[in-house]
Amino acid sequence: MTGPEALAAEHPASPFVELIGGRLEEWREGYVRMSLTLEEHHTNPNGVMHGGVVTTLMDEALGGVIASVRGLETMFAAPHATVEMNASFLAAVRPGDRIVVEARVLRLGRRVAFGEAEARRDDGEMVAKGRMTFVIMDGGAA
Amino acid sequence: MTEERRRSPFSAFIGTEMEELREGYARVGLTLEPRHTNPNGVMHGGVITTMMDSALGAALGALRGEAARRDPHATVEMNASFLSGARPGDRIVVEGRVIRMGKTIAFGEAEARRNGDRLIAKGRLTFAIRNRDE
Repeated sequence: MTGPEALAAEHPASPFVELIGGRLEEWREGYVRMSLTLEEHHTNPNGVMHGGVVTTLMDEALGGVIASVRGLETMFAAPHATVEMNASFLAAVRPGDRIVVEARVLRLGRRVAFGEAEARRDDGEMVAKGRMTFVIMDGGAA
Repeated sequence: MTEERRRSPFSAFIGTEMEELREGYARVGLTLEPRHTNPNGVMHGGVITTMMDSALGAALGALRGEAARRDPHATVEMNASFLSGARPGDRIVVEGRVIRMGKTIAFGEAEARRNGDRLIAKGRLTFAIRNRDE
């Protein structure tokens, strides 16, 4: 199976990301890529992308990468959750622009995972960069 | 009028409400629904970062007044700590406060609470203020 529909069927997507229209483009162990085409409802009062759109996609992409490395069964038994996020907003995105978000794991420990994400516009310009820390919950006791 | 002018389409889309807005301060609320969750069924972190960004952007807008319409400000940095989770049915309230405003840069902080009590997230945001005159 190929294509976004097959990817979405095989991998857990957040209802919140489905709501805003983020699409899973690629999912393999250690790497996830997502995309979104900006529409009017994704904007802030200045008519450009709301910061919440890209932070949502960076959080989702990195959560997905960590899941791809840990394995889905392990993830559902002992979920991981974002505890820290740091984002730099480098350039504006306007309705009609498409952004692509890539995420990778920097280190996966037993209790903590570190990763980073980048968002680029179709013209290649980097629009946001994020660093996140996830905690891996103790599934043994649950 | 100011509220209408500063309304963010994305905030309206996800369902946040502006509860209070005055110079340098804004409070936004949201009752969490299943559509705001992640695959584990709890609040997606993006909901909180969205609310923090909205609250601070509006608080700064209220403080800057007319100047904000002439020369918009934009978030350049955000830093958030997620201290606790939230589930559908929980009421999330985020307060944003401007802590310093300069000519070209402004700093603010935001706090998110669950059901009027528990602090669930804390954020720090930096905004760049465009200066058309320069």
